[in-house]
Amino acid sequence: MKKSLKRLAIDTATKYIYLALLIDDKEVASIYQVGDNDHSVTILPLLEKLLDDAKITLKDIDEIIIGIGPGSYTGVRIGVTVGKMIGYLNNISVFQVSSLALIASSSKKNKILSLIDARRNNAFMAYFNQQKNTLEYIKNDTLENIESFQQNINEKYEIVEYGKPNIKKIIKSNLLVKVEDIHKLTPNYLRITEAERNLEK
Amino acid sequence: MNVLGVETSCDETSVSVVRDGNVVLANEVLSQIDIHKAYGGVVPEIASREHIKGITYVFDQAIKNANLNYEDIDLIAVTKGPGLIGSLLIGINAAKVISLNYNIPIIGVHHISGHIYANYIEQGMEFPLLALVVSGGHTELILMKEHFSFIKLGETQDDAVGEAYDKIARVLGLGYPGGPVVDRLAGSGVDNLNFPRPMIQSGDFNFSFSGLKSHVINTHHNMKQRNIAINIDDFCASFQEAVTDVLVEKTIQAKNKFKVKQVIVAGGVAANSGLRKKMKEKITDIPVFFPKMKFCTDNAAMIGAAGYFQYKKYGKADDLYINGYSRLDLE
Ligand SMILES: [Zn+2]
Repeated sequence: MKKSLKRLAIDTATKYIYLALLIDDKEVASIYQVGDNDHSVTILPLLEKLLDDAKITLKDIDEIIIGIGPGSYTGVRIGVTVGKMIGYLNNISVFQVSSLALIASSSKKNKILSLIDARRNNAFMAYFNQQKNTLEYIKNDTLENIESFQQNINEKYEIVEYGKPNIKKIIKSNLLVKVEDIHKLTPNYLRITEAERNLEK
Repeated sequence: MNVLGVETSCDETSVSVVRDGNVVLANEVLSQIDIHKAYGGVVPEIASREHIKGITYVFDQAIKNANLNYEDIDLIAVTKGPGLIGSLLIGINAAKVISLNYNIPIIGVHHISGHIYANYIEQGMEFPLLALVVSGGHTELILMKEHFSFIKLGETQDDAVGEAYDKIARVLGLGYPGGPVVDRLAGSGVDNLNFPRPMIQSGDFNFSFSGLKSHVINTHHNMKQRNIAINIDDFCASFQEAVTDVLVEKTIQAKNKFKVKQVIVAGGVAANSGLRKKMKEKITDIPVFFPKMKFCTDNAAMIGAAGYFQYKKYGKADDLYINGYSRLDLE
């Protein structure tokens, strides 16, 4: 019998924690729940439960999909740390995906503006086209003023700020990027730190 | 028992393998000090970004240099605080993944207990003992009557001693981190500025360094205004003598009161040569121990050593719900 392909997906870039387990392209279990700045406390217990329920262990995972932001800096680092360690320890294939793409995948609309609030009228945003369940970028991940980003879009679209990712849609898309060297994987912050900006001045 | 130690509380990403609390099989430290120098101190967000960059690499180096596999690890000990929260969480979550992946028990360790147990690695411990913990975040005297029992006798009421060093160094234009530079220059200076020795006879075991710090800064400012030539070496020597007089005198008072069998000095400032010299000169009736230089600054070997004794004392591990704490009491 052919061995089944087991994939784990993780994203913690927003206030929602997302974990999903896929076996041969079928989502067999998933968690999408709002947290109170406590992803760091809950992610491993939730992951353990997800695996226990499916009667498998971390070592059985063949591939991992990691949401690398943009989003909350502290938040995204939790998921990337966990995903990076799982990939490293088990020497398995790792794929990174935009956390904005994961949010967009929850929508069924044709034109989707995926948005994660970044305060002071700014947001992490990306704009997607969706035809027959296939999601693709129109405008890449960016951090800018919400209004000015929206002004450049002259068609009807839906704004999506949260929603349980449709991971099957993601794995069929071109939005996954293979990570060649696990040690080099870092979140996509889209912005240097305030200290670095001040130093450049 | 092979303990995997993990330390990411500030600006060092460190992973160790320590056997039975004192045999260091590996102690990998990825230091960010050159990155933070440009900012005159540790920038928390940059520290977190650097930790996540280096985390798997440091684990890999540690396990390879220890010549072991993860299956050979019996316990994972990870710093849970105090420290920079964003930095702590990276080490904690990485450690938890190893725990779940290989079904290895995990415990959260207090950073200061690590600094104290850095002394166990080479010298062992004899109780009761007195520990003087001096670093950028801590200045405290701790009495230990047995392994992994900490009674805080006193602590700084304001600045930590390492913090005072960094601020003085900044005022003197000596850069960051200031401690080692001030220490070096003090070696060729003379204590001729009569700086105060705060709280030296306060009768308790508390410290205060902010008044001394202001005094030093004001003196420097006044001399500059009046165009009096400033000898930086003498400034450093006068400051260092004042600080070490207080630290050593308080340590002697506590040592006598509690009739301890040894004194140990722990934390980054334990690397200070003026403090080392004065302690050894002034305390001759019982041994005074300092950790090796590489175990003075933040490192995971000390966490592996402390974790071993914490586990032995309490006999049980934590679970996957371990959290990080920016502030955390030792007792
Ligand atoms: Zn420390």
